Amino acid sequence: MYRKQVRRRRAVLALLIVGSFALLTVTYGQGSNGLQRGVSAIFSPIQSVADRALKPARDLINWFDETFDAKGRNARLHRELEQVRKQAVGAQSALAENRQLKKLVELDDSGAIPGGYTTVTGRVIGRSPTEWFADVQIDVGSGDGVEVDDPVVNGDGLVGHVAAVTGGSARVTLIVDHSSAVSAKIVPGGIQGVMKPSVGDPEDLILDFLSSEKRVGKGQSVVTLGWRRGDIGSHYPPNLPIGEVDDASLKVQEAQQQVHVRPFADLRDLELVQVLTGGSRG
Amino acid sequence: MILTPNILVRLVATVVGGVILQLSLFSQVTLFDVSPDLLPALIVVLGLLGGSLTGAVCGFSAGLLLDCLLIVPLGGGSLVLLATGYLAGLFRERFEIHSPLVAPLLCMGLTLFAELGFGAVEMMLGFDAPVSTLIVRDILLKCIFAFFGGWAIYVGVRRALRPALVDDLGGRRSGRRPRVLGA
Repeated sequence: MYRKQVRRRRAVLALLIVGSFALLTVTYGQGSNGLQRGVSAIFSPIQSVADRALKPARDLINWFDETFDAKGRNARLHRELEQVRKQAVGAQSALAENRQLKKLVELDDSGAIPGGYTTVTGRVIGRSPTEWFADVQIDVGSGDGVEVDDPVVNGDGLVGHVAAVTGGSARVTLIVDHSSAVSAKIVPGGIQGVMKPSVGDPEDLILDFLSSEKRVGKGQSVVTLGWRRGDIGSHYPPNLPIGEVDDASLKVQEAQQQVHVRPFADLRDLELVQVLTGGSRG
Repeated sequence: MILTPNILVRLVATVVGGVILQLSLFSQVTLFDVSPDLLPALIVVLGLLGGSLTGAVCGFSAGLLLDCLLIVPLGGGSLVLLATGYLAGLFRERFEIHSPLVAPLLCMGLTLFAELGFGAVEMMLGFDAPVSTLIVRDILLKCIFAFFGGWAIYVGVRRALRPALVDDLGGRRSGRRPRVLGA
């Protein structure tokens, strides 16, 4: 009797392990599949309700965290800082564009979001629990016009891009995810490179493969490059603010051709984001 | 664990509720700059109370639901959480649990296992980025949260599944004092 139980237990375990590997093999590389769309259709409304209902609890816990970390910041000053930062980055980008006589994009009033894009505002309703991948789930999907690869921003700057969509929800891969790589440039100066994350540290991005021998200084802003060659192009339009250079030691620049960048957006505390739909990329 | 339809419903509700709470609450709050990950702790508790088979099945289901809701390739979360639940159940089947610290300590240890497992699955699927040493701090903090969270989860889930627990039935039976007729 006991042996029968053990055999049955092992059989179920083997079945589950084989099932997991089979699922991984079949679904790897797919955006979303029928099962996920079905489950998402059922659970998205529940998650939305749970998200709203649990907001006071989240706020309370975050308040404690902020108190511990002495992170409490004045909301008005923060808004002003966002505004000034956007204007500064927008102005620097515009100056660079003027100097190079490139008029590829129309910037909106703030100078951050180029024209031709429609913004769809979404609320973050889920977040990956592990540090190994940085995804958030938002409550807008293909039904709202969101498509895979659409750029995602918040009030501070670039957040990531849409990696998968269902009818009513989408997965956003953040710029700190290990799979993320953003073509970026430093303004002013126009030095170009590829922005990669430092997995596990959401406040550190690495601007790698710097394509110029010009020196980069601490405090310089980094924006998306938004390149396009024929049919191939970046997911992101040009001049979306990403962050500012945080560590630009000469030694690292010369030896590794990289600098460290602190993202403008607080990627640990995302609540509302905007998906830039439509528009021509690059 | 005595599985009845009623207990199955409670198990499903516990797993679904746990996943929703993790995504909507715990993953979206930060304590000391880290979001608690209490899903492995929940699976550990289910494995401890229900045995290796219950732990593995609950872990697989929770992982599958998590992967579906996060719209990531299916199977990664299932694989890690089923191993977590199975190990917790195996511990229960091999050893007697006397100390109240066993459950939280196991939650802590197996959360470390699960976090490393998630990392291993990600690396198996292709990982092309430098890893900051801060991730070690984050994982250790998650384990500490799992220790304290595991305590509460163990009490709550044990209460919810009490009618199905053989140990508790025995305990209650032996604890009941016989009524004296005519007294």
